[in-house]
Amino acid sequence: MKTKITELRKKLKMTQQGLADKVNVTRQTIISLENGRYNPSLELAYRITKALKAKKIEHVFNLE
Amino acid sequence: MKSKKQIIWRYGFALVLLIVGTLLEYFNIGQEFLGFSSVGSWMIYVAFVMLAIITLQIFSKKKRLVDERMQLIAMKAGRVTFVAIILFAFVVMIIDGIRTIYFPYSYFMSYFISGVLLVYFISYKILLRKN
Repeated sequence: MKTKITELRKKLKMTQQGLADKVNVTRQTIISLENGRYNPSLELAYRITKALKAKKIEHVFNLE
Repeated sequence: MKSKKQIIWRYGFALVLLIVGTLLEYFNIGQEFLGFSSVGSWMIYVAFVMLAIITLQIFSKKKRLVDERMQLIAMKAGRVTFVAIILFAFVVMIIDGIRTIYFPYSYFMSYFISGVLLVYFISYKILLRKN
């Protein structure tokens, strides 16, 4: 799964740890998500979308 | 910090071990066991180690976060361990068929449990890096 987490996170000047704390996961999980190694659950995807102030989940995560 | 219920259960289990161990020791039941003079003394030893670990865990201030990725990896590591147990059992059955194995059950189980923990730990660490 391709994500725009890194891009959106940097726009908000947020660190990986900062995002991890906001969505209640470990920093390693954020790294895995950014590298596309791990596909999040719908709940986590929603929480990340909210934390990154994106309007839709599709704006952050892309299945292609 | 662990939940109160978990701590009570663990303390309860350790206390039961301690009481049973003391009773076995008092009535002189059991022989040499896993390098200890009797089963009772081994149980008392295990109970004290358990009590020490639980008490240390209570006072540990380290915040441990378990997220969904870690849960998924734990599940995968559990599956790997399960397959490893089946393979091990298969190999042991074949070896026993060729030549009967004579090994004290207590030693076998202690090695077996240590092996299971080792396989789980290694597979968990490898999967953690890959995922």
